[in-house]
Amino acid sequence: MEEASRSDEPNRNPNIDRSSNPNPLSSIISSAHVWPTIDGPLGLTEEASVDYARRFYKFGFALLPWLWAVNCFYFWPVLRHSRAFPQIRNYVVRSAVGFSVFTSLLLAWALTFSLGGEQLFGPVWDKLVMYNVADRLGLSGLA
Amino acid sequence: MDRTQRPRSVLDSLGEELIGILTPVSICMFTVVLLVCLLNSDPSSSASFSSIATAAYSETDSDSPWDKLLGAFLNSLVFVAAITVATFLLVLLFYLRCVRFLKLYMGFSAFVVLANLGGEISVLLIDRFRLPVDSVTFSILLFNFSVVGVLAVFMSRFSILITQGYLVVIGVLVAYFFTMLPEWTTWVLLVALALYDLAAVLLPVGPLRLLVEMAISRDEDIPALVYEARPVIRDDSRLVQRRVWRDRRSSQNDDDLENNEVVNVVVRAEEEEQRSEISVPLIERSRPESSETFLEGIGLGSSGAIKLGLGDFIFYSVLVGRAAMYDLMTVYACYLAIIAGLGVTLMLLSVYQKALPALPVSIMLGVVFYFLARLFLEVFVVQCSSNLVMF
Repeated sequence: MEEASRSDEPNRNPNIDRSSNPNPLSSIISSAHVWPTIDGPLGLTEEASVDYARRFYKFGFALLPWLWAVNCFYFWPVLRHSRAFPQIRNYVVRSAVGFSVFTSLLLAWALTFSLGGEQLFGPVWDKLVMYNVADRLGLSGLA
Repeated sequence: MDRTQRPRSVLDSLGEELIGILTPVSICMFTVVLLVCLLNSDPSSSASFSSIATAAYSETDSDSPWDKLLGAFLNSLVFVAAITVATFLLVLLFYLRCVRFLKLYMGFSAFVVLANLGGEISVLLIDRFRLPVDSVTFSILLFNFSVVGVLAVFMSRFSILITQGYLVVIGVLVAYFFTMLPEWTTWVLLVALALYDLAAVLLPVGPLRLLVEMAISRDEDIPALVYEARPVIRDDSRLVQRRVWRDRRSSQNDDDLENNEVVNVVVRAEEEEQRSEISVPLIERSRPESSETFLEGIGLGSSGAIKLGLGDFIFYSVLVGRAAMYDLMTVYACYLAIIAGLGVTLMLLSVYQKALPALPVSIMLGVVFYFLARLFLEVFVVQCSSNLVMF
Protein backbone atom coordinates (compact mmCIF):
# COMPACT_ATOMS: atom_id res chain seq x y z
CA MET A 1 0.00 0.00 0.00
CA GLU A 2 2.77 2.41 0.78
CA GLU A 3 4.52 1.69 -2.45
CA ALA A 4 1.43 2.51 -4.40
CA SER A 5 0.91 5.80 -2.64
CA ARG A 6 4.52 6.86 -2.84
CA SER A 7 4.75 6.18 -6.52
CA ASP A 8 1.71 8.34 -6.99
CA GLU A 9 3.25 11.35 -5.35
CA PRO A 10 5.71 12.48 -8.02
CA ASN A 11 2.85 12.47 -10.48
CA ARG A 12 0.66 14.47 -8.20
CA ASN A 13 3.08 17.18 -7.24
CA PRO A 14 5.41 17.99 -10.06
CA ASN A 15 6.59 21.24 -8.54
CA ILE A 16 7.03 20.03 -5.03
CA ASP A 17 8.43 22.65 -2.78
CA ARG A 18 11.26 21.03 -0.98
CA SER A 19 11.69 23.64 1.66
CA SER A 20 8.24 23.18 3.05
CA ASN A 21 8.43 19.54 4.03
CA PRO A 22 10.30 19.41 7.29
CA ASN A 23 8.70 16.32 8.75
CA PRO A 24 10.70 13.17 7.90
CA LEU A 25 7.81 10.94 8.84
CA SER A 26 5.56 12.56 6.35
CA SER A 27 6.90 10.61 3.44
CA ILE A 28 5.47 7.49 4.93
CA ILE A 29 2.10 8.97 5.55
CA SER A 30 0.24 9.33 2.29
CA SER A 31 -0.48 12.82 0.97
CA ALA A 32 2.75 13.89 2.51
CA HIS A 33 3.35 17.35 1.18
CA VAL A 34 2.10 20.06 3.46
CA TRP A 35 0.25 22.70 1.56
CA PRO A 36 -0.01 26.15 3.03
CA THR A 37 -3.68 26.61 2.35
CA ILE A 38 -6.64 24.69 3.66
CA ASP A 39 -7.57 23.68 0.15
CA GLY A 40 -4.51 21.54 -0.14
CA PRO A 41 -3.38 20.84 -3.67
CA LEU A 42 -6.20 22.95 -5.03
CA GLY A 43 -5.00 26.06 -3.25
CA LEU A 44 -2.09 28.39 -3.62
CA THR A 45 1.59 27.74 -3.99
CA GLU A 46 3.84 28.85 -1.22
CA GLU A 47 5.13 31.95 -2.95
CA ALA A 48 1.66 33.18 -3.75
CA SER A 49 0.58 32.38 -0.20
CA VAL A 50 3.06 34.79 1.30
CA ASP A 51 1.73 37.50 -0.93
CA TYR A 52 -1.86 36.70 -0.09
CA ALA A 53 -1.24 36.45 3.64
CA ARG A 54 0.48 39.79 3.65
CA ARG A 55 -2.26 41.47 1.64
CA PHE A 56 -5.02 40.06 3.79
CA TYR A 57 -3.20 41.17 6.90
CA LYS A 58 -2.76 44.70 5.61
CA PHE A 59 -6.30 45.04 4.34
CA GLY A 60 -7.67 43.84 7.63
CA PHE A 61 -6.67 47.10 9.20
CA ALA A 62 -9.49 48.82 7.32
CA LEU A 63 -11.91 47.72 10.06
CA LEU A 64 -12.13 44.24 8.59
CA PRO A 65 -11.61 41.67 11.35
CA TRP A 66 -13.55 39.14 9.33
CA LEU A 67 -10.80 39.34 6.73
CA TRP A 68 -8.29 38.46 9.44
CA ALA A 69 -10.44 35.52 10.45
CA VAL A 70 -10.64 34.38 6.83
CA ASN A 71 -6.86 34.71 6.66
CA CYS A 72 -6.45 32.40 9.64
CA PHE A 73 -9.01 29.96 8.28
CA TYR A 74 -7.47 29.86 4.85
CA PHE A 75 -3.95 29.28 6.10
CA TRP A 76 -4.95 26.92 8.86
CA PRO A 77 -2.23 24.34 8.00
CA VAL A 78 0.32 27.07 8.63
CA LEU A 79 -0.93 27.44 12.16
CA ARG A 80 -1.09 23.72 12.74
CA HIS A 81 2.39 22.82 11.53
CA SER A 82 4.27 25.31 13.58
CA ARG A 83 7.65 24.89 11.97
CA ALA A 84 6.77 25.20 8.33
CA PHE A 85 6.26 28.38 6.36
CA PRO A 86 7.83 30.92 8.68
CA GLN A 87 6.97 33.94 6.59
CA ILE A 88 3.31 33.09 6.19
CA ARG A 89 3.07 32.15 9.83
CA ASN A 90 4.21 35.60 10.81
CA TYR A 91 1.28 37.27 9.08
CA VAL A 92 -1.25 34.64 10.04
CA VAL A 93 -0.44 34.80 13.72
CA ARG A 94 -0.65 38.56 13.68
CA SER A 95 -4.00 38.31 11.90
CA ALA A 96 -5.25 35.92 14.55
CA VAL A 97 -4.18 38.28 17.30
CA GLY A 98 -5.81 41.19 15.57
CA PHE A 99 -9.01 39.30 15.05
CA SER A 100 -9.24 38.26 18.71
CA VAL A 101 -8.58 41.77 19.98
CA PHE A 102 -11.07 43.38 17.64
CA THR A 103 -13.73 40.75 18.29
CA SER A 104 -13.39 41.02 22.04
CA LEU A 105 -13.74 44.78 21.88
CA LEU A 106 -16.73 44.58 19.56
CA LEU A 107 -18.36 41.88 21.63
CA ALA A 108 -17.84 43.87 24.80
CA TRP A 109 -19.49 46.89 23.26
CA ALA A 110 -22.37 44.90 21.74
CA LEU A 111 -23.08 43.02 24.94
CA THR A 112 -22.93 46.19 27.01
CA PHE A 113 -25.36 47.77 24.62
CA SER A 114 -27.83 44.94 24.47
CA LEU A 115 -27.73 43.98 28.12
CA GLY A 116 -27.41 47.47 29.49
CA GLY A 117 -30.43 48.75 27.71
CA GLU A 118 -32.08 51.91 28.70
CA GLN A 119 -30.96 51.86 32.29
CA LEU A 120 -27.38 52.25 31.31
CA PHE A 121 -27.62 54.52 28.36
CA GLY A 122 -30.74 56.50 28.86
CA PRO A 123 -32.55 57.92 25.83
CA VAL A 124 -29.48 57.41 23.64
CA TRP A 125 -30.25 53.70 23.57
CA ASP A 126 -33.39 54.24 21.62
CA LYS A 127 -31.55 56.37 19.15
CA LEU A 128 -28.82 53.80 18.57
CA VAL A 129 -30.72 50.54 18.44
CA MET A 130 -31.02 49.13 14.98
CA TYR A 131 -34.72 48.70 14.54
CA ASN A 132 -35.36 52.31 15.41
CA VAL A 133 -32.62 53.50 13.14
CA ALA A 134 -34.08 51.38 10.37
CA ASP A 135 -37.51 52.80 10.92
CA ARG A 136 -36.20 56.31 10.86
CA LEU A 137 -34.26 55.77 7.66
CA GLY A 138 -37.01 53.76 6.08
CA LEU A 139 -34.79 50.74 5.54
CA SER A 140 -37.24 48.11 6.61
CA GLY A 141 -39.94 49.22 4.29
CA LEU A 142 -40.39 45.98 2.51
CA ALA A 143 -42.52 43.99 4.88
CA MET B 1 -3.13 -3.71 -3.03
CA ASP B 2 -5.71 -5.17 -5.30
CA ARG B 3 -8.13 -2.37 -4.82
CA THR B 4 -5.95 0.29 -6.31
CA GLN B 5 -5.54 -1.72 -9.46
CA ARG B 6 -9.19 -2.13 -10.22
CA PRO B 7 -10.11 0.26 -13.04
CA ARG B 8 -11.99 3.21 -11.76
CA SER B 9 -15.34 3.81 -13.30
CA VAL B 10 -17.37 6.94 -13.24
CA LEU B 11 -19.61 5.44 -10.59
CA ASP B 12 -16.89 5.59 -7.97
CA SER B 13 -16.92 9.34 -7.79
CA LEU B 14 -20.40 9.98 -9.12
CA GLY B 15 -21.97 10.07 -5.72
CA GLU B 16 -19.43 12.51 -4.39
CA GLU B 17 -19.82 14.83 -7.33
CA LEU B 18 -23.59 14.72 -7.14
CA ILE B 19 -23.53 15.50 -3.45
CA GLY B 20 -21.16 18.33 -4.18
CA ILE B 21 -23.79 20.04 -6.25
CA LEU B 22 -26.94 18.91 -4.48
CA THR B 23 -25.82 20.13 -1.08
CA PRO B 24 -25.50 23.83 -1.90
CA VAL B 25 -28.74 23.76 -3.90
CA SER B 26 -30.53 22.22 -0.94
CA ILE B 27 -28.97 24.66 1.50
CA CYS B 28 -30.02 27.58 -0.67
CA MET B 29 -33.59 26.31 -0.94
CA PHE B 30 -33.80 25.53 2.75
CA THR B 31 -32.56 28.98 3.72
CA VAL B 32 -35.01 30.71 1.42
CA VAL B 33 -37.88 28.64 2.81
CA LEU B 34 -36.72 29.51 6.32
CA LEU B 35 -36.60 33.21 5.51
CA VAL B 36 -40.01 33.08 3.87
CA CYS B 37 -41.53 31.32 6.86
CA LEU B 38 -39.91 33.70 9.33
CA LEU B 39 -40.53 36.97 7.60
CA ASN B 40 -43.86 36.52 5.90
CA SER B 41 -46.07 36.00 8.87
CA ASP B 42 -48.98 37.92 7.45
CA PRO B 43 -49.94 36.69 4.01
CA SER B 44 -52.40 39.42 3.33
CA SER B 45 -49.91 42.23 3.09
CA SER B 46 -48.39 42.02 -0.31
CA ALA B 47 -45.44 44.31 -0.22
CA SER B 48 -45.46 46.88 -2.94
CA PHE B 49 -42.39 45.66 -4.62
CA SER B 50 -41.86 47.08 -8.01
CA SER B 51 -39.16 45.87 -10.23
CA ILE B 52 -38.64 45.29 -13.88
CA ALA B 53 -40.63 42.11 -13.53
CA THR B 54 -43.73 44.02 -12.57
CA ALA B 55 -43.23 46.92 -14.92
CA ALA B 56 -46.02 46.03 -17.24
CA TYR B 57 -48.65 45.15 -14.75
CA SER B 58 -48.85 45.12 -11.02
CA GLU B 59 -51.24 42.65 -9.61
CA THR B 60 -53.96 43.69 -7.25
CA ASP B 61 -56.32 41.45 -5.38
CA SER B 62 -59.40 42.70 -7.09
CA ASP B 63 -58.55 41.61 -10.60
CA SER B 64 -60.20 38.68 -12.24
CA PRO B 65 -58.11 35.59 -12.88
CA TRP B 66 -58.03 36.25 -16.58
CA ASP B 67 -56.69 39.75 -15.99
CA LYS B 68 -54.06 38.41 -13.64
CA LEU B 69 -52.99 35.80 -16.16
CA LEU B 70 -52.73 38.34 -18.91
CA GLY B 71 -50.84 40.72 -16.70
CA ALA B 72 -48.48 37.96 -15.67
CA PHE B 73 -47.80 37.14 -19.31
CA LEU B 74 -46.99 40.74 -20.04
CA ASN B 75 -44.67 40.96 -17.06
CA SER B 76 -42.83 37.82 -18.05
CA LEU B 77 -42.50 39.00 -21.60
CA VAL B 78 -40.94 42.24 -20.47
CA PHE B 79 -38.59 40.46 -18.10
CA VAL B 80 -37.45 37.87 -20.61
CA ALA B 81 -36.92 40.58 -23.19
CA ALA B 82 -34.81 42.53 -20.73
CA ILE B 83 -32.75 39.47 -19.95
CA THR B 84 -32.23 38.70 -23.62
CA VAL B 85 -31.02 42.21 -24.29
CA ALA B 86 -28.70 42.10 -21.32
CA THR B 87 -27.31 38.73 -22.32
CA PHE B 88 -26.60 39.89 -25.83
CA LEU B 89 -24.85 42.89 -24.33
CA LEU B 90 -22.74 40.52 -22.29
CA VAL B 91 -21.93 38.50 -25.39
CA LEU B 92 -20.87 41.68 -27.15
CA LEU B 93 -18.65 42.77 -24.30
CA PHE B 94 -17.08 39.36 -24.07
CA TYR B 95 -16.49 39.39 -27.80
CA LEU B 96 -14.73 42.72 -27.51
CA ARG B 97 -12.61 41.25 -24.74
CA CYS B 98 -13.68 43.69 -22.05
CA VAL B 99 -13.09 40.99 -19.50
CA ARG B 100 -11.71 43.37 -16.93
CA PHE B 101 -14.81 45.50 -17.08
CA LEU B 102 -16.98 42.44 -16.66
CA LYS B 103 -15.05 41.29 -13.64
CA LEU B 104 -15.29 44.72 -12.06
CA TYR B 105 -18.98 44.72 -12.75
CA MET B 106 -19.32 41.32 -11.19
CA GLY B 107 -17.59 42.52 -8.06
CA PHE B 108 -19.72 45.62 -7.96
CA SER B 109 -22.95 43.70 -8.33
CA ALA B 110 -21.88 41.24 -5.65
CA PHE B 111 -21.25 44.18 -3.37
CA VAL B 112 -24.64 45.68 -4.12
CA VAL B 113 -26.40 42.41 -3.45
CA LEU B 114 -24.55 41.64 -0.26
CA ALA B 115 -24.62 45.10 1.23
CA ASN B 116 -28.00 46.26 0.09
CA LEU B 117 -30.13 43.15 0.00
CA GLY B 118 -28.22 41.52 2.82
CA GLY B 119 -28.59 44.61 4.91
CA GLU B 120 -32.30 44.82 4.21
CA ILE B 121 -32.92 41.21 5.10
CA SER B 122 -30.87 41.57 8.28
CA VAL B 123 -32.87 44.62 9.23
CA LEU B 124 -36.08 42.72 8.58
CA LEU B 125 -34.87 39.89 10.77
CA ILE B 126 -33.79 42.25 13.53
CA ASP B 127 -37.13 43.95 13.34
CA ARG B 128 -39.00 40.69 13.47
CA PHE B 129 -37.14 39.32 16.46
CA ARG B 130 -36.51 42.69 18.15
CA LEU B 131 -32.84 41.94 18.63
CA PRO B 132 -31.13 44.73 20.57
CA VAL B 133 -28.37 45.28 18.06
CA ASP B 134 -26.98 48.75 17.83
CA SER B 135 -26.31 50.47 14.57
CA VAL B 136 -22.54 50.70 15.04
CA THR B 137 -22.11 46.97 15.48
CA PHE B 138 -24.53 46.29 12.69
CA SER B 139 -22.77 48.53 10.22
CA ILE B 140 -19.37 47.07 11.06
CA LEU B 141 -20.66 43.54 10.61
CA LEU B 142 -22.41 44.34 7.37
CA PHE B 143 -19.36 46.12 6.02
CA ASN B 144 -17.13 43.18 6.87
CA PHE B 145 -19.52 40.70 5.41
CA SER B 146 -19.95 42.47 2.10
CA VAL B 147 -16.31 43.42 1.56
CA VAL B 148 -15.07 39.91 2.18
CA GLY B 149 -17.85 38.64 -0.07
CA VAL B 150 -16.71 40.90 -2.87
CA LEU B 151 -13.16 39.66 -2.42
CA ALA B 152 -14.32 36.07 -2.48
CA VAL B 153 -16.22 36.57 -5.70
CA PHE B 154 -13.74 38.82 -7.38
CA MET B 155 -10.44 37.17 -6.65
CA SER B 156 -9.77 34.13 -8.70
CA ARG B 157 -7.84 32.31 -6.00
CA PHE B 158 -9.59 32.21 -2.72
CA SER B 159 -10.71 29.68 -0.21
CA ILE B 160 -13.07 27.33 -1.99
CA LEU B 161 -15.38 26.91 0.95
CA ILE B 162 -15.78 30.61 1.58
CA THR B 163 -16.37 31.40 -2.07
CA GLN B 164 -18.99 28.68 -2.30
CA GLY B 165 -20.60 29.95 0.90
CA TYR B 166 -20.79 33.48 -0.39
CA LEU B 167 -22.23 32.40 -3.73
CA VAL B 168 -24.95 30.49 -1.92
CA VAL B 169 -25.64 33.55 0.25
CA ILE B 170 -25.93 35.77 -2.83
CA GLY B 171 -28.33 33.23 -4.31
CA VAL B 172 -30.41 33.19 -1.15
CA LEU B 173 -30.63 36.97 -0.96
CA VAL B 174 -31.67 37.48 -4.56
CA ALA B 175 -34.09 34.56 -4.44
CA TYR B 176 -35.79 35.92 -1.35
CA PHE B 177 -36.40 39.19 -3.07
CA PHE B 178 -37.79 37.48 -6.10
CA THR B 179 -40.29 35.60 -4.00
CA MET B 180 -41.88 38.91 -3.20
CA LEU B 181 -43.24 39.29 -6.70
CA PRO B 182 -46.97 38.80 -7.11
CA GLU B 183 -48.02 35.22 -7.29
CA TRP B 184 -49.25 34.78 -10.82
CA THR B 185 -46.32 36.73 -12.15
CA THR B 186 -43.91 34.45 -10.33
CA TRP B 187 -45.26 31.26 -11.81
CA VAL B 188 -45.58 32.52 -15.35
CA LEU B 189 -42.14 34.09 -15.06
CA LEU B 190 -40.58 30.81 -13.97
CA VAL B 191 -42.08 28.96 -16.91
CA ALA B 192 -41.05 31.72 -19.29
CA LEU B 193 -37.49 31.65 -17.99
CA ALA B 194 -37.32 27.89 -18.34
CA LEU B 195 -38.34 28.21 -21.99
CA TYR B 196 -35.91 31.07 -22.50
CA ASP B 197 -33.07 29.05 -21.00
CA LEU B 198 -33.88 26.16 -23.29
CA ALA B 199 -33.81 28.45 -26.30
CA ALA B 200 -30.76 30.44 -25.29
CA VAL B 201 -28.58 27.44 -24.67
CA LEU B 202 -29.63 25.01 -27.34
CA LEU B 203 -30.48 27.16 -30.33
CA PRO B 204 -27.44 28.03 -32.46
CA VAL B 205 -28.35 31.69 -32.33
CA GLY B 206 -28.91 31.69 -28.59
CA PRO B 207 -26.75 34.16 -26.67
CA LEU B 208 -25.65 31.68 -24.07
CA ARG B 209 -24.49 29.23 -26.66
CA LEU B 210 -22.51 31.94 -28.42
CA LEU B 211 -20.92 32.89 -25.13
CA VAL B 212 -19.98 29.35 -24.32
CA GLU B 213 -18.49 28.74 -27.73
CA MET B 214 -16.44 31.91 -27.50
CA ALA B 215 -15.19 30.91 -24.09
CA ILE B 216 -14.20 27.49 -25.32
CA SER B 217 -12.48 28.77 -28.41
CA ARG B 218 -10.50 31.28 -26.40
CA ASP B 219 -9.86 28.92 -23.57
CA GLU B 220 -11.01 31.44 -21.01
CA ASP B 221 -13.36 31.60 -18.12
CA ILE B 222 -16.49 33.62 -18.49
CA PRO B 223 -16.42 36.31 -15.82
CA ALA B 224 -19.67 35.59 -14.13
CA LEU B 225 -21.07 34.19 -10.95
CA VAL B 226 -20.89 30.44 -11.19
CA TYR B 227 -20.94 27.89 -8.48
CA GLU B 228 -18.25 25.32 -9.00
CA ALA B 229 -18.25 22.25 -6.89
CA ARG B 230 -14.98 21.20 -5.38
CA PRO B 231 -13.24 18.98 -7.92
CA VAL B 232 -13.06 15.41 -6.84
CA ILE B 233 -9.49 14.37 -6.32
CA ARG B 234 -9.12 10.82 -7.32
CA ASP B 235 -6.33 8.50 -6.42
CA ASP B 236 -5.03 8.25 -9.90
CA SER B 237 -3.08 11.33 -10.63
CA ARG B 238 -4.88 12.20 -13.77
CA LEU B 239 -7.53 14.53 -12.57
CA VAL B 240 -5.85 17.18 -10.53
CA GLN B 241 -2.31 18.30 -10.95
CA ARG B 242 -1.41 21.39 -9.05
CA ARG B 243 -4.26 23.16 -10.63
CA VAL B 244 -5.94 26.02 -8.93
CA TRP B 245 -9.53 25.14 -9.03
CA ARG B 246 -10.67 27.90 -11.23
CA ASP B 247 -7.68 28.59 -13.40
CA ARG B 248 -7.13 26.66 -16.51
CA ARG B 249 -3.69 25.40 -17.26
CA SER B 250 -2.82 23.14 -20.12
CA SER B 251 -5.61 20.69 -19.87
CA GLN B 252 -4.98 17.05 -20.19
CA ASN B 253 -7.46 14.96 -22.01
CA ASP B 254 -7.49 12.07 -19.70
CA ASP B 255 -10.87 11.74 -18.30
CA ASP B 256 -14.04 11.91 -20.20
CA LEU B 257 -15.36 14.45 -17.77
CA GLU B 258 -12.64 16.97 -18.37
CA ASN B 259 -11.85 19.57 -20.90
CA ASN B 260 -15.19 21.03 -21.61
CA GLU B 261 -15.44 24.38 -20.03
CA VAL B 262 -19.01 25.17 -20.79
CA VAL B 263 -20.91 27.71 -18.88
CA ASN B 264 -24.01 29.64 -19.64
CA VAL B 265 -24.65 33.20 -18.77
CA VAL B 266 -27.75 35.11 -18.09
CA VAL B 267 -27.59 38.70 -17.16
CA ARG B 268 -30.43 39.71 -15.03
CA ALA B 269 -31.63 43.12 -14.24
CA GLU B 270 -31.65 43.92 -10.60
CA GLU B 271 -34.80 45.33 -9.27
CA GLU B 272 -35.18 48.73 -7.79
CA GLU B 273 -37.22 49.11 -4.74
CA GLN B 274 -39.97 51.47 -4.13
CA ARG B 275 -41.15 52.36 -0.74
CA SER B 276 -44.83 52.47 -0.13
CA GLU B 277 -44.38 54.87 2.75
CA ILE B 278 -43.59 58.52 2.72
CA SER B 279 -40.34 59.14 0.98
CA VAL B 280 -37.41 59.68 3.25
CA PRO B 281 -36.45 63.35 3.28
CA LEU B 282 -32.69 63.23 3.28
CA ILE B 283 -31.73 59.99 1.60
CA GLU B 284 -32.46 59.31 -2.01
CA ARG B 285 -33.58 55.74 -1.88
CA SER B 286 -34.01 54.95 -5.53
CA ARG B 287 -31.14 52.75 -6.38
CA PRO B 288 -29.90 52.57 -9.92
CA GLU B 289 -30.86 49.44 -11.67
CA SER B 290 -27.79 47.33 -11.83
CA SER B 291 -27.47 44.25 -13.88
CA GLU B 292 -25.79 41.33 -12.40
CA THR B 293 -23.96 38.67 -14.15
CA PHE B 294 -25.45 35.47 -13.00
CA LEU B 295 -25.12 32.22 -14.74
CA GLU B 296 -27.74 29.80 -15.65
CA GLY B 297 -27.06 26.41 -16.91
CA ILE B 298 -24.92 23.54 -15.98
CA GLY B 299 -21.61 22.53 -17.35
CA LEU B 300 -18.32 20.98 -16.58
CA GLY B 301 -15.41 22.95 -15.31
CA SER B 302 -11.90 22.63 -16.55
CA SER B 303 -10.92 20.38 -13.70
CA GLY B 304 -13.90 18.15 -14.15
CA ALA B 305 -15.91 19.73 -11.42
CA ILE B 306 -19.56 20.37 -12.07
CA LYS B 307 -20.48 23.99 -12.54
CA LEU B 308 -23.94 25.29 -11.94
CA GLY B 309 -24.94 28.83 -12.68
CA LEU B 310 -26.09 31.02 -9.87
CA GLY B 311 -29.27 31.86 -11.76
CA ASP B 312 -30.31 28.24 -11.37
CA PHE B 313 -29.85 28.41 -7.62
CA ILE B 314 -31.93 31.55 -7.56
CA PHE B 315 -34.85 30.30 -9.60
CA TYR B 316 -35.03 26.94 -7.89
CA SER B 317 -35.17 28.77 -4.59
CA VAL B 318 -37.79 31.19 -5.91
CA LEU B 319 -39.97 28.24 -6.84
CA VAL B 320 -39.59 26.61 -3.47
CA GLY B 321 -39.99 29.91 -1.66
CA ARG B 322 -43.20 30.63 -3.45
CA ALA B 323 -44.39 27.12 -2.65
CA ALA B 324 -43.57 27.83 0.98
CA MET B 325 -45.91 30.76 0.92
CA TYR B 326 -48.74 28.35 0.43
CA ASP B 327 -47.92 25.45 2.66
CA LEU B 328 -45.04 23.20 3.61
CA MET B 329 -46.59 20.26 1.80
CA THR B 330 -46.03 21.97 -1.51
CA VAL B 331 -42.47 22.71 -0.40
CA TYR B 332 -41.71 19.03 0.01
CA ALA B 333 -43.28 18.19 -3.33
CA CYS B 334 -41.43 20.94 -5.17
CA TYR B 335 -38.14 20.15 -3.47
CA LEU B 336 -38.29 16.54 -4.57
CA ALA B 337 -39.30 17.56 -8.06
CA ILE B 338 -36.42 19.99 -8.37
CA ILE B 339 -33.87 17.52 -7.08
CA ALA B 340 -35.16 14.91 -9.47
CA GLY B 341 -34.95 17.39 -12.32
CA LEU B 342 -31.41 18.29 -11.33
CA GLY B 343 -30.47 14.63 -11.30
CA VAL B 344 -31.93 14.17 -14.76
CA THR B 345 -30.02 17.21 -15.98
CA LEU B 346 -26.77 15.89 -14.57
CA MET B 347 -27.33 12.57 -16.27
CA LEU B 348 -27.96 14.32 -19.55
CA LEU B 349 -24.81 16.33 -18.94
CA SER B 350 -22.72 13.23 -18.58
CA VAL B 351 -24.27 11.80 -21.72
CA TYR B 352 -24.06 14.83 -23.97
CA GLN B 353 -20.91 16.47 -22.62
CA LYS B 354 -21.91 19.97 -23.53
CA ALA B 355 -23.59 22.97 -22.03
CA LEU B 356 -27.07 22.25 -20.92
CA PRO B 357 -29.79 24.46 -19.52
CA ALA B 358 -30.43 23.43 -15.95
CA LEU B 359 -33.69 25.27 -15.55
CA PRO B 360 -36.23 23.63 -17.88
CA VAL B 361 -36.53 20.13 -16.48
CA SER B 362 -36.51 21.14 -12.84
CA ILE B 363 -38.79 24.13 -13.23
CA MET B 364 -41.32 22.22 -15.29
CA LEU B 365 -41.37 19.35 -12.82
CA GLY B 366 -41.52 21.80 -9.94
CA VAL B 367 -44.41 23.77 -11.35
CA VAL B 368 -46.36 20.65 -12.24
CA PHE B 369 -45.81 19.18 -8.81
CA TYR B 370 -46.78 22.42 -7.11
CA PHE B 371 -50.12 22.61 -8.85
CA LEU B 372 -50.80 18.92 -8.42
CA ALA B 373 -49.96 19.11 -4.73
CA ARG B 374 -51.99 22.22 -4.19
CA LEU B 375 -55.05 21.09 -6.08
CA PHE B 376 -55.18 17.38 -5.42
CA LEU B 377 -52.71 16.22 -2.82
CA GLU B 378 -53.70 18.66 -0.15
CA VAL B 379 -57.35 17.73 -0.21
CA PHE B 380 -56.46 14.08 -0.03
CA VAL B 381 -53.98 14.42 2.81
CA VAL B 382 -56.20 16.70 4.84
CA GLN B 383 -59.15 14.39 4.51
CA CYS B 384 -57.05 11.40 5.45
CA SER B 385 -55.53 13.05 8.48
CA SER B 386 -58.73 14.51 9.78
CA ASN B 387 -60.29 11.09 9.60
CA LEU B 388 -57.20 9.54 11.18
CA VAL B 389 -56.78 7.19 8.29
CA MET B 390 -53.19 7.59 7.28
CA PHE B 391 -51.11 10.24 8.94
